[in-house]
Amino acid sequence: MASDATALADLVDVEHGYRTKAGAVPALGPIDLRVDPGEFLVVVGPSGSGKSTLLRLIAGFERPTAGDVLRLGGTPVPGRDVGVVFQQPRLFPWQTVAGNIGAALRWADVPKPDRSRRTAELLAAVGLAELGPRRTWEISGGQQQRVAIARALAARPKLLLMDEPFAALDALTRERLQEDVRSLTDDAGQGVVFVTHSVDEAVFLASRIIVLTDRPGRIALDVPITLPRKGISADELRGSPEYAAFRGEIAAAVRATVS
Amino acid sequence: MPQALAEVSDKPQGTARPASRAPRSTPAARTVLVRAAAVLVLLGVWQLLALAGFWPPVILPGPVQVWDQLLITSDAANGQGGYAGSTLLERLGVSLRRVGYGSAYGILIGVVLGLVMGLVPLVRAVTEPAVTFLRALPPLAYLSLLVIWFGIDEEPKVYLLMIAAFPPVAVATATAVTGVNRQYVEAAQALGASRGHVIASVILPASAPEIITGVRLAVGIAYSSVVAAETVNGADGIGGMVLNAQRYNQTSVVILGLFVIGITGLLIDTAIVGVQRALSPWRGLV
Repeated sequence: MASDATALADLVDVEHGYRTKAGAVPALGPIDLRVDPGEFLVVVGPSGSGKSTLLRLIAGFERPTAGDVLRLGGTPVPGRDVGVVFQQPRLFPWQTVAGNIGAALRWADVPKPDRSRRTAELLAAVGLAELGPRRTWEISGGQQQRVAIARALAARPKLLLMDEPFAALDALTRERLQEDVRSLTDDAGQGVVFVTHSVDEAVFLASRIIVLTDRPGRIALDVPITLPRKGISADELRGSPEYAAFRGEIAAAVRATVS
Repeated sequence: MPQALAEVSDKPQGTARPASRAPRSTPAARTVLVRAAAVLVLLGVWQLLALAGFWPPVILPGPVQVWDQLLITSDAANGQGGYAGSTLLERLGVSLRRVGYGSAYGILIGVVLGLVMGLVPLVRAVTEPAVTFLRALPPLAYLSLLVIWFGIDEEPKVYLLMIAAFPPVAVATATAVTGVNRQYVEAAQALGASRGHVIASVILPASAPEIITGVRLAVGIAYSSVVAAETVNGADGIGGMVLNAQRYNQTSVVILGLFVIGITGLLIDTAIVGVQRALSPWRGLV
């Protein structure tokens, strides 16, 4: 099928490898994948399955060694139509918390008079309204990652890419941030590609999950996640039988990739 | 919903900082005390050696004589306008002005050149040997050339200090720029930063601590070259005073000059370290 301009990301026959002393090592593919507006796609797979590589290809940090990657119909370059949240918050320590978001707004050409209001809105949206003047290293890891999410959303990107953003956080913080991300990305039209190795995190967040095989990563499973989310609390959702069923299916698929 | 999220209380990571800073005040005070005591002991030994008369005062004047010279050379109304027409303070001002201009130009050139060296490998490959070559030359050696080119007024002195000051800044900047964490650059690019934005808002601030270390070296080298810069028609400076006093065997004036240069150099360095702390408080924490 020809690539459609409305797809947020469109990967056709994509392969990626790394050159080492021992020769080329294939890391990913071949993969065909299309991400549409409104989708919350979670990529699950064992270490070394090329999950992060997939994200870096869509972000435009890497070029595929074969095949085509399109983002919004064009060749991906890192820029404000895509927001990236990395495993480490990567906040600029020479800026305050608010300064980090201010920089993102400046680079997104938000006019100066609007920036402080937008900064306050973004910080409030991640529950950190009071922390604007703080130094980035003075706040907790979870708070840092919240700032990173607010910063990535500053330019209102159509596509948000998240590379194991909560892997370094404790379990409780992690669950709170998952709930946070769900409510922040409910916007219709926005798409998310979220990489994780946690099956629970995947089922909780996703509207669709793909499971990658061991290196080189290929799509082993591609399932829509249809869980009732309206009018139900996060705990009720995690406790529901439908959730358990999806969890079982994905976990089995992940186990199958490593055996 | 967001209000509830705000209450998540994961532990702040920065707690190590106040904990390690707070108890420092007492040892810091002790350090100052120990240093002051050491200086007093040295001065005492020096004075005793001078009094013992192993060497004539023209070889080793005592601290009291040097102190007397400080008072004499600072006195504009002593009949010779301080020392040979200028007071100590005027001389210090003249020399500091030269060092200031020389360092400022040197730092400017060093940062710009270092930035380009760090960003463009080809430029680095070409300029690095030249910078190292320049670094190896004693300032007195190229002063002759500068005098031939620029005469004997302020230019050759400022240029000499500039040439002495810029290599450490260029090398420090180039090293810092190449060493900037790629993660910050990627984060900025993904936020829509242009190449200019990345340089101005990521690479420069991330390199600032190391650049300032280069500046520290540069100002020190420039200051220590001031005597060389003032060997030709620089009698109005502090270095000129040292050279002049040496010609007339005024040993206590020579020593006075060395102390003035050394102590003001120490103060300038302390100020730069303070600026470094203020500009990059995250150093060692991130």
